[in-house]
Amino acid sequence: METTEFQNAWKNIDSEINLKSTDELNFILQTKIRKTMNKFLIIFGIDVIVCAGLLVFLTVTAINRQADVIYLVNNSLLGLITLSALFISLFSLKKLQNNKSDLSVKDWLEFRIRLLSGWLSGKYSKLYIILVPILIIMINLSIHVYYEYKPLPEVMTNMESVFGQIVGFIVALAVSLYALKKIRKYQLKNLEYLKSLLSALQ
Amino acid sequence: MNSMKEEFIGILKNYQGILHKVNLIYFRNPTDREDNFQEIVYQLWKSFPSLQNKNSLGSWIYAVSINTSLLRLRNESRIEYREDPPDSIDKTDILEELSKNEHCSLLLKAIYKLNEMDKSIMLLYLEEKSYAEIAEILGITLSNVGVRISRAKEILIQNLKNC
Repeated sequence: METTEFQNAWKNIDSEINLKSTDELNFILQTKIRKTMNKFLIIFGIDVIVCAGLLVFLTVTAINRQADVIYLVNNSLLGLITLSALFISLFSLKKLQNNKSDLSVKDWLEFRIRLLSGWLSGKYSKLYIILVPILIIMINLSIHVYYEYKPLPEVMTNMESVFGQIVGFIVALAVSLYALKKIRKYQLKNLEYLKSLLSALQ
Repeated sequence: MNSMKEEFIGILKNYQGILHKVNLIYFRNPTDREDNFQEIVYQLWKSFPSLQNKNSLGSWIYAVSINTSLLRLRNESRIEYREDPPDSIDKTDILEELSKNEHCSLLLKAIYKLNEMDKSIMLLYLEEKSYAEIAEILGITLSNVGVRISRAKEILIQNLKNC
């Protein structure tokens, strides 16, 4: 097959394409918009429900333990972190949806690489290694101390409680780090894929 | 909003061939093609309000279609499995129709063997786009376009010999 024959053969494709009518295109657009909105609302809903649930728990337990200052500080800090996490996750979701696919292929690839690199190797990319264990300890304390019906310093002197806390901490830490590692691995593969596309273009 | 939507659907109706062809070179499965078609339509709609130059509608549609397809290819492993294709999918698959034409069928087989970027370059070349348009869509220099096309053509010819 010669070069000019490629183009002639390609022209035959036009006649085989089943073009969609205006109504079909309208339907596709409306369905896709609805699906995307629903997807966003589901993620948003889960995010809000989990955070709201945790905030309600922290508030109720704090009200019931007004005399325990350390417990109140623990719950207040957790509340602040939960609210910040909610805003950051919604901001990230919005950023992720801003695909900027109208850029040229090279610019779009560079934009996606910059975005992913920022998350995976940016200034705060390793912050989770410090934050996750601290958060687990604080959540463990908040739940455990509340259901022990004793002040926090007293619970921490009980060997059985401390042992339970340590076991709970190790299990929760292992599960959280495993999940985060999986997500990072997936995103790293994405980054490698985009970089390979960019290098193929250069 | 409605007039903008009408304008958008009008443009889409005239240029939808681009979406079908980009889909054709990247996806062999009709379900994936239909899903990707919907995704491209949505991405086009999202970027339509910020479209500055309505004289280069073709370039805009090519760029969005290629970018969306490249992202979907990466996520292909996560594409949900469907036993029954959606009703909106054409009952006669374009690949089946094209297989009746020996030249088309050979050409597509050879294109499928190219890497993702060469597929885009070859598509634009086959669509008889000028070097300037290809450079605009891909975001590369004019001189690079020439180099990329001749390299992709060489691989395509080699693939055709092996088909």
